[in-house]
Amino acid sequence: MKRAPFPEDLTPLRNHLLELLPILEPQNGWYGSIYFERKASKSFSANLKQTQMTDHVSSGAVFRIYDGYTLYEEATDELEFESLKVFANRFVKRVQGQARPTDLAAKPYHPPKWNDRLNTSLESEITNQLPKSIDAKTPVHFGIRFEKDPRRLSAADCFQSLKGAVEKCKQLAPQEGMELSDLSYVAARQTFSIEESIFVDRETNLSQTLFRLMLAVTTMSGSDRTFFRFGGLGGLEAIHYSDSDVHTLLKNLKALKSAKRLEPGKYRVLFGPALTGVLAHEAFGHSQEGDTCARGRSKAWDLHKTGESVGNEHATILNNPAIFQNGDTNYAAWGSYFFDEEGWLANEQILLEKGKLRAPMTNLTSAIRLGVPRTANGKRESWTNGVYTRQTNTYFSAGNKTLEELMSELGNGFLALHAAGGMEDPKGMGIQVGIAYLHEVKNGKLTGQVLKGPAGGDIQMTGYTPDVLNSIVAKSKIEYQSNKQDSAKHPFNDVGGCGKYHKEFVYAGCGGPYLLLDQVILG
Amino acid sequence: MNTHTWNLEQLKNQLSKRKEVKAWIVTEDHIQRRERYFMTQTEKVLEKVIVDQDRNVHSRAISLNLFVHLETAGRQGEITKKLFPSLPLENQLDLAIEAARQTDHQAWDLPTTVPTNLPEVRTADPEISEDVNHVMEKITTRIQTTVHKKRESSFNSAELFLSVFHRQLHLSNGLNHRSSQSRIYFETAFSHSEMGKDGKAHSDEYMNTQWSVHLKNLDLEKVIEETSDYANHSLQVLKPQTGKYAVIIGADVLSTLLNEQISQLSAFNAYNGLPFSKPGREFIPESKGELLSITLDPTLEYSANTTAISEQGLAQLPLKLVDQNMVIATSADKQYGDYLGILPTTSRGNLVVEAGKMTYQELTRHVPQVIEILQFSGLFSDPNSGTFSSEIRLARHFNNETGKITYLKGGSLSGSIVENFKNLRLSKSRVNRVHFSSDNIYGQGYYGPEYALLSNVSIVG
Repeated sequence: MKRAPFPEDLTPLRNHLLELLPILEPQNGWYGSIYFERKASKSFSANLKQTQMTDHVSSGAVFRIYDGYTLYEEATDELEFESLKVFANRFVKRVQGQARPTDLAAKPYHPPKWNDRLNTSLESEITNQLPKSIDAKTPVHFGIRFEKDPRRLSAADCFQSLKGAVEKCKQLAPQEGMELSDLSYVAARQTFSIEESIFVDRETNLSQTLFRLMLAVTTMSGSDRTFFRFGGLGGLEAIHYSDSDVHTLLKNLKALKSAKRLEPGKYRVLFGPALTGVLAHEAFGHSQEGDTCARGRSKAWDLHKTGESVGNEHATILNNPAIFQNGDTNYAAWGSYFFDEEGWLANEQILLEKGKLRAPMTNLTSAIRLGVPRTANGKRESWTNGVYTRQTNTYFSAGNKTLEELMSELGNGFLALHAAGGMEDPKGMGIQVGIAYLHEVKNGKLTGQVLKGPAGGDIQMTGYTPDVLNSIVAKSKIEYQSNKQDSAKHPFNDVGGCGKYHKEFVYAGCGGPYLLLDQVILG
Repeated sequence: MNTHTWNLEQLKNQLSKRKEVKAWIVTEDHIQRRERYFMTQTEKVLEKVIVDQDRNVHSRAISLNLFVHLETAGRQGEITKKLFPSLPLENQLDLAIEAARQTDHQAWDLPTTVPTNLPEVRTADPEISEDVNHVMEKITTRIQTTVHKKRESSFNSAELFLSVFHRQLHLSNGLNHRSSQSRIYFETAFSHSEMGKDGKAHSDEYMNTQWSVHLKNLDLEKVIEETSDYANHSLQVLKPQTGKYAVIIGADVLSTLLNEQISQLSAFNAYNGLPFSKPGREFIPESKGELLSITLDPTLEYSANTTAISEQGLAQLPLKLVDQNMVIATSADKQYGDYLGILPTTSRGNLVVEAGKMTYQELTRHVPQVIEILQFSGLFSDPNSGTFSSEIRLARHFNNETGKITYLKGGSLSGSIVENFKNLRLSKSRVNRVHFSSDNIYGQGYYGPEYALLSNVSIVG
């Protein structure tokens, strides 16, 4: 395995940013930092009619000053040194010109030194890349590991592979009882991004390079649609699929043509990993985002302080940006990184433990305002967007059942495998988990019948979050096909995304074990 | 990193010299955005509205749509690529051409003529365009003044984003066009607490958002008052009873659903085998209610998708797509028009929907039980099937048999345009609505009925 290197063309910029940093701290009590990112992404797609490619590069720097009251940011993509110098000075002048509240005490921030940062348990993928001796100026670089170098894949190879996927769908369709004319739309899409970032403040000089890959195949018949999506951080090994995946895709598409409609009601449901991930994400999850807590917009903060239970013994939810081996694979999970966009090192965090809420995730200002420890959850949609407390990989802890055992325990109900969005309600503690369609289960066996929502579209699982988390009956192991002890450390997290209410979209891993729930409202 | 090595004129000259290049579209966008995030901080007993974050963003992006010749007759290669002014131009073009030659499209041509006498369209608030910082200060004062008023509910947070986009569009056929757009985003959240019968404090919140292009359409004080009022109501709620109901949806939801549904009237959908309704078909099959008439209007003043010209260099004029529930036109840009062998029409624009016949009060009393959706938690809709669903964040139930009005929260609604719009009733009053999902794509604009009454909608409680 190799690692993604620090791009040498960014060395002059990195040095310039270090030189500019003191400009941002002209006054006592001011904390300055600079974040730079460069994202170069290529997207290839093939459908029944054509092949397409886009090639985007976005890069910019964010200068930040926290004065004890407000976090100020000035962001630009003019990256010549002299421009940046003028920019930094103008920024300082803007901040100096702002009125400070006279009736509130300042809450200054002092960044920790490396000794303090390392005084916590970190993943070996992080500690293995640290130089033996580090001080404030030492450049520390983290590179994602990879086996098959994605940079070597040419556009021609990509298109051949994607056209192959489209042809595979057409080739296998008859085996799943579909005529070629039934396939009105088939598309395969592959994306590869190189994400490079630098973070500097008076105590740290960090950089990281991530390789992000995703492959999606979509089939449609009229308005019915199925898709699969694979991806992660690492090399081409993250986007491998098999004929069996295509068979499943087409089988489900055929089943959708004769789908029944669900009668709204309360049901026993076995959630697959993607749905379990959405549930974790929307439950505690969003309510445990520190900025939401600091704004008085989360019930979770109150419940954490009172210690009131919000779920049963199965309700343990983690957030973890440091998943560098996703499930039993050798590539990192979609929502992973080495440090967040405010320079905090990635680490696992328990958000909910057997129904009791722990401290929330934070970004810099929410940690200060709430008076809780910082976590590595300061993220932005891009350098042009603001930083919020955001989830990374959010998932339920694994249980001890195999899938077979859970199906047997399910008995009569539904298997939900295909997520269709979700929404949080941090203050009211409602929850919405979207399910594209359900698989009917009778006596623990799939009947082959598929069900859509009451109006022929998605199905929504809704309810009061504590009720849902108290209705968990059992959870699967990470390696749910085997009854041997799990060898993988973390459940598999799928490719996913997250919006903060309805905007600010970031990558997020979405996964976990299978979860058996009883008496959940579906409609 | 290198300093700027080239400008747009040099780019255009280089492109013109390359034999492999068939055509190109270059856009240069300059964006300035100011943002403030507001929250309260409590010190002793004093609760003060503070600025949590204050941001200023400047960005410049150059995007190239490149079309290249391929050996196979009737085919061409295409790529969309962002270009870096600080990297050498020739190398970037070499790579773009090489990559484009790997793709494979049915050939099409940019328009041969450049439109003249384009209509003047209004897309940018002059005050914001002139001094976005000054406007930020002005609105900050308005926010702080308004939220400080004494209310039963508590102010939690607000966000205000002001953006100005300046775009230059250059086509290989000689078109050069400049345009600007301003965008205003405002959100606010209030919460309300009460002691419950169980002796515990219960609280809930309501969050409201509004997008606009011009300050005159930003009714900030009204948004704040409404948010505060709905927060107060969020605790005295019941869950809906499972059943089928007549449901009133507001303009925001109607705009989302109709803007998505008209994708089925596009040449893009027809060519790609996606669901498509051709002219002569009913928009809502077997409709027995008020019949929809929908125009795609790119000239609507200060709306989200207002433009004089499309990216492919065609003048954009209002296009009536649906007339009294009959599809009468296909929205086609030059590319997909060429593919289908039809003349291009209008491909950009805002939805203008003709007014209905009923007042809001008449809609709420139209049938014995009516549920008015005040807010969905997260509306998910499928433009291919016309289905939509969401948890209900807040609603009002009009029981016209007893005269009682109750607030509802929770449960979910599952709907279908084809099924639930069959007996459509629309309000006489019309409103403007604007929505932007991202900096990178066009917004959705709407001028149409403020309310719509749908029938037989499934709700589970």
